[in-house]
Amino acid sequence: MFNGLREKLQKITTGFEESIATAAAESEPAAAKPVKKDPSLLGKVRVLVTDREFVISEKDIEEPLFELEMVLLENDVALPVAEEIIAHIRRDLTGERRKIGERVDTIVLSALKGALLDVLGEGFDLVSYISSHERPVKILFTGVNGTGKTTTVAKIGAYLKKRGFSVVIGAGDTFRAGAIEQIDVHASRIGIRIIQHQQGADPSAVLFDAVQHAEANHIDVVLADTAGRFHNRVNLMNQLDKIRRVMKPDLIVYVDEAVAGNDAVVRAFEFEKSVGADAVVLTKADMDPRGGAAISIAHTIGKPLMFLGTGQGYDDIVPFSPGQMVDELLSEAA
Amino acid sequence: MLDHLGSSLKDALRKLAGKTVVDRAAVDELVKDLQRALIQADVNVKLVMQLSQAIKTRALGEEPPRGMSVREHVLRIVYQELVRLMGSAGEVKLGSQTILMAGLQGSGKTTTTAKLARYFQRKGLKTAVICADTFRPGAYDQLSTLCTRLNIPCFGNPQEKDARVIVRDGLKATGSAEVIIIDTQGRHALEDDLIQEIIDLNTLTAATHRWLIIDAAIGQKASEQARRFHEAIDIDGVIITKMDGTAKGGGALSAVSETGSGIVFIGSGETIEDLERFDPDGFISRLLGMGDLKALVERAQQSVSEGEIDVNAMMRGKFTLRDMYKQLEAVNRMGPLKQIMSMMPLGNIDLPGDAYEMTSAKMVRYRIIMDSMTGKELDEPSLLASSRIHRIARGSGSTPDEVRELLKYYKNMKRALKGVRGGAGKFNMQRLMKKFGGM
Repeated sequence: MFNGLREKLQKITTGFEESIATAAAESEPAAAKPVKKDPSLLGKVRVLVTDREFVISEKDIEEPLFELEMVLLENDVALPVAEEIIAHIRRDLTGERRKIGERVDTIVLSALKGALLDVLGEGFDLVSYISSHERPVKILFTGVNGTGKTTTVAKIGAYLKKRGFSVVIGAGDTFRAGAIEQIDVHASRIGIRIIQHQQGADPSAVLFDAVQHAEANHIDVVLADTAGRFHNRVNLMNQLDKIRRVMKPDLIVYVDEAVAGNDAVVRAFEFEKSVGADAVVLTKADMDPRGGAAISIAHTIGKPLMFLGTGQGYDDIVPFSPGQMVDELLSEAA
Repeated sequence: MLDHLGSSLKDALRKLAGKTVVDRAAVDELVKDLQRALIQADVNVKLVMQLSQAIKTRALGEEPPRGMSVREHVLRIVYQELVRLMGSAGEVKLGSQTILMAGLQGSGKTTTTAKLARYFQRKGLKTAVICADTFRPGAYDQLSTLCTRLNIPCFGNPQEKDARVIVRDGLKATGSAEVIIIDTQGRHALEDDLIQEIIDLNTLTAATHRWLIIDAAIGQKASEQARRFHEAIDIDGVIITKMDGTAKGGGALSAVSETGSGIVFIGSGETIEDLERFDPDGFISRLLGMGDLKALVERAQQSVSEGEIDVNAMMRGKFTLRDMYKQLEAVNRMGPLKQIMSMMPLGNIDLPGDAYEMTSAKMVRYRIIMDSMTGKELDEPSLLASSRIHRIARGSGSTPDEVRELLKYYKNMKRALKGVRGGAGKFNMQRLMKKFGGM
């Protein structure tokens, strides 16, 4: 999914090299006429200044930093997050004294990598989490309307079943017309037991029943679906809080879509504040090869990204690993 | 809605108004502030750059017309460019038509289909819907449940796997309806077979309108997705959904500019009535704090039966507890006070934030408290001294502090409404317009 961002980032790193190379060149009196676009410049500079040190000043990297910021924004990294990444890189790079023997691109790359890893944090391994916790492990799914909670519940159900866990689903979306039917069909397709009440029932009661069922039948995992709700609806958020009190989930998973823009930050923050979140699932990652929302959300709530939803089939779900993603983003750069 | 964008735009303009000289630096600053505000609202970065470039060139290049100060001139340019960004309102005719709904998964097509059906039904047109979503389980149940509540015929067949067959049968079955709305499965632009399906549906139905449903929260991807949909079925209107969250809906603007169409409706809540027509001029006016009287009047007429709220009295600044009581009563139908207030020409007067932050629970409390007041007290809140407050508190089972809180809320609202006093709003509107440079 991150191909788009990757291409751009690689282009930008080249920009950095040029600027810094120019800076280096300027610090060397012999290279009084640095030509930016000269392809062999980098090499020249390397030879020229091999035994010297140069200092990167803020001015030198201003332009590529601005470009990088635009790239991040165009890829849906929310404005405050983009600004922080840029600040991170600026802090890392400016005033840095570098032995000239060191390659410029390594400097830039490590700064960018540091900034991204810093933002993305650790991954989350659901299987080992379940294995190391007391059964049943109760997982509550939250998020705003239409991000794909129900589909994600079904996918994770299938994922866990394939890995030998027994699973029960609680149909906690009692508000939206057709929601119970939807999860019911999913559950019977993947062969998972579902606990449901009628539309309009108290979701806490449904999910409590699901937990009871799991305890009585020694089932490993309870997946609790909920109705989509906006974080600015006090009553609905209180309802979610009640659900949390009643079913006492081990994990709260916040579900959002990869196509979300700046609002992703606002709502992730609000959900984290009111009911908490232990992990994030990003859905619809197949709609566009950009990864900005992942960066924004992970940065805002500081919680690991667990899965990416990448399609409409039950198998279209991939565990997320930040180190690998960053490496992939920057692998061909330099 | 769009509060944050509104306030940051207002801040940017206020900064300019505070400047003694409007020079290049001032324009640069204004443009920078605008850029931030728009990018945070998810407007496409390229569009924002174009817009700011246009504002900059025009502000520095064009001579202000005679009689207009440089400041007014710049403000007018900002206004004009923003209106251009919004595009024109999409057209909605009240007559026989077939509407094809298209959009990404989870953007709210099914809910919006039901809302639209309700909209046309209320306008007195015979309406029917067809559920062509053959993929998502429960899609037909969802739509038919919503339609049954409205008493609108809903055609669908959860057993049939081919959307084309359903639509062909559906068109026959709903033949006598004037407005036919076709709900489709969510798809994104990279799924070729689904795009082909919607092209087929479009040919098959010879749809009058092909509306793209866009989630207000969508980010920079909106342009790309909209462009592909447009290439496939020639989108002629955009509906923004989920505007009741905190999202700014800037992605929808990118979609508008990409398809060269206009925004037709805005979905702003979970009940079936939460669908508004869109008017770009009013929208921008509201955004810049100049009020949208047209929408206010329309809304008041639509949702509040006569005598319930005297908007004119409110506009004159005569606002008693009784008015507030009625407002609270009507709040379910008319939407929160904040929305109503946002349509009034309050100019740069901002209501204190806490005046808005009333939860529905509080609304109920307030009504109960007011139920314990006498008619005289409702008309003349100044009567309410300590002993009366205690009596009301006892009567309504609340504490005197709660009664005082209610009075404080009332006073805040009243003070805010005073800002509109002076010539039934119209004069005020003119004055504001003048202030913003003869728009």
